[in-house]
Amino acid sequence: MRTGDYKQTYGELVALIDSPPVWLWSAVLMLALIAAPHVLNAYALTFLMIILITVTGALGLNILTGYTGLISLGHVGFLVTGAYAYAILVSKYHMPPLVGFLGAGLVPALASLVVGAPSLRLKGLYLAITTLAFSFIINTVILEMRWLTNGARGISVQRPEILGISFDSDAAFTYLCLGIATLTLLATLNIRRSRVGRAFVAIRDNDTAARVMGINLHAYKLLAFVTSALITGLAGALYGIYLSFVSVEGFPFLLSIEALAILIVGGLGSALGAVLGTVLIVLLPEATRLVFSLFSAQLDAVFTTGAQELKSMLYGLVIILFLRFQPRGLVGAWHDIRRAWVNWPLRY
Amino acid sequence: MRDHLRTASLLLTATLLAGGGALAADPGITDTEILIGDVEPLTGPPALLGVAASIGHKIAIAEANNAGGINGRKIKYVLEDDGYVTARTIQGAKKLIEVDKVFAMLGMSGSGQSIAVMPVLEKAGIPTVIDVAPVKLLWEPPRKNVFVVGQSYEEGIIHLVNYLAEKNPGKKWGLITQDDDYGITVRDGFDSVVKSKKLNVVYSGNYKKGQQDFSSDMLQLKDSGAEVFLAGGIIAENIAMMKELEKLNVKPVTGIFWPGRVEPVLKLMGPAGDGIFAVDYVEPFAGEAGKAFLEKAKPLVSEAEFKGINRYTMSGYAAAKVLIAAIERCGKQPTWACTIGELEKTKNVETGVMAPISFGPGIRFSNQKLQIMQADTATVSFKPVK
Repeated sequence: MRTGDYKQTYGELVALIDSPPVWLWSAVLMLALIAAPHVLNAYALTFLMIILITVTGALGLNILTGYTGLISLGHVGFLVTGAYAYAILVSKYHMPPLVGFLGAGLVPALASLVVGAPSLRLKGLYLAITTLAFSFIINTVILEMRWLTNGARGISVQRPEILGISFDSDAAFTYLCLGIATLTLLATLNIRRSRVGRAFVAIRDNDTAARVMGINLHAYKLLAFVTSALITGLAGALYGIYLSFVSVEGFPFLLSIEALAILIVGGLGSALGAVLGTVLIVLLPEATRLVFSLFSAQLDAVFTTGAQELKSMLYGLVIILFLRFQPRGLVGAWHDIRRAWVNWPLRY
Repeated sequence: MRDHLRTASLLLTATLLAGGGALAADPGITDTEILIGDVEPLTGPPALLGVAASIGHKIAIAEANNAGGINGRKIKYVLEDDGYVTARTIQGAKKLIEVDKVFAMLGMSGSGQSIAVMPVLEKAGIPTVIDVAPVKLLWEPPRKNVFVVGQSYEEGIIHLVNYLAEKNPGKKWGLITQDDDYGITVRDGFDSVVKSKKLNVVYSGNYKKGQQDFSSDMLQLKDSGAEVFLAGGIIAENIAMMKELEKLNVKPVTGIFWPGRVEPVLKLMGPAGDGIFAVDYVEPFAGEAGKAFLEKAKPLVSEAEFKGINRYTMSGYAAAKVLIAAIERCGKQPTWACTIGELEKTKNVETGVMAPISFGPGIRFSNQKLQIMQADTATVSFKPVK
């Protein structure tokens, strides 16, 4: 009888997916996501688009904060840089969208070297404040460079056409978001099981011990910043296209906090956690509204006319509840359920 | 046999045409009801304008419903909160169009939000009248189904600065603006008059959105010796600036713009706000038209809503009146195409709260007439300047 989930070879330990049922469920989920744009109405599809864009951004932050343990309060800075890089290249200089996406990744990656450099000497709260300052500086730079960014007037962005395929419709754009989110998920999962990923985790767990083991802290911390910013920049480009208008106002500081909340609720350091956290945080207000609307039309009206205040309250409440009762997040809860299922009727 | 077939095919064609007609009916309209949707910032600081605009829509709708509705159909108003978050404005608009299936739209939140939601509205083809934040990108280029009631920020500032320049010849000028789209528009409008009238600008400041403390800015303004001051803040900023100037014991001739021309702001400014000039395209509440509007609104809204009335209520009311009138002119079976056609034919429609409203072929902006008004803190109101 199987009494646990034992890895007997090194290959098993680093396998991307370790069991056939997980392959099966992943395939089912992917098929459902492919079918979704044809089944969901335009409103429901906006949630799917937001989830996929947010997953991409959250996975980017997860590399820095979840894997490497470097807290960033200014990730919205990379998000807005990516969005502007795409908008400037595509809308202003009429470059192909693929060049726009390349720029959306590379420009924030270069910017991350500026903010990443202090991280070599700073940790914890001090680093968090540095990244926060970076996001404010980026906003000021964008507003002042009017000749390039149109300042506060913003830049309109059209849905892209890539290699002859138009992503103008919501369904097509959802597929673009799905493709980028899936590639990002695979990339981050692969990073995690590689030498680089193990170095990130070693730095997070104890950077002194990591250094003793021969890990170059400077190089790996900078690499974490660059990778994280690159992915977040891509998410920024997608978000800019979704909004159809890129301006500093469209990227409020609250997005940085929301991203951190996603990682905490999902489970820090886990790609699956970033995905689950995103789904919960994005859908929570709408799900709550739907539940309440079953009981009373008046409660439904309260949710539509006071949506943003209630949303903030719900986020706060969920974070407090998770920190108190499930600090390992949704992934931790999922692991507990799975262990209970496998070991039943035994507890361990 | 051939006759039977012909009869059958004629019947089938007639049925399909009838069915097709029913299928082609636009959403948001039943035998008893017409749905009108709106997305506004109802929470957070910009709620001051979003809530007020929605009250204006409610007043116009209640007025129409009390008069029997639109050709017998009652109007139902569906309101969504976007919290001034652009992504949520897009979601809200899509929800109203796809889930609630509204017939027409009003409002559409702030300037950045309404610009971002434009592709959604254009693609849907739904008749829309925007009233909260009139910015050029909304009507240039003109979109078939989107109409804007109001006046551009640039024109407003030019009108105000021209007036102040004429009344204060040869004086030194000071200006402070916000570091956003609104601030740039104010500055551009100001700069255009500075060039044409050769104004002597001795202070030109810029502040970060959300700034609370204006002590150093106002000290610089005082040191510069500015005698005429254009306060480019919106709400809290203008209050802080005027309070600071009061503390420094200087009182330049001050002009503010219509987003901050709301009575609660004047109340918070106290004596510091007395005599400041403002520009607007809606009537001041202290005037005859304003008083008549308040009288009309009182029985149509709750007490709490009545307290929330400000200038945005008037602009919202006017936009809703124009939309309702256009749907009404379409008769018993209004459609989107007819409503858009009738909106285009809008000519000198009187709303009582601003100059008559007109659109036209290819003209989607009502280009309202502006007027100068002056604050009177004793009555906490703005009075028209003759």
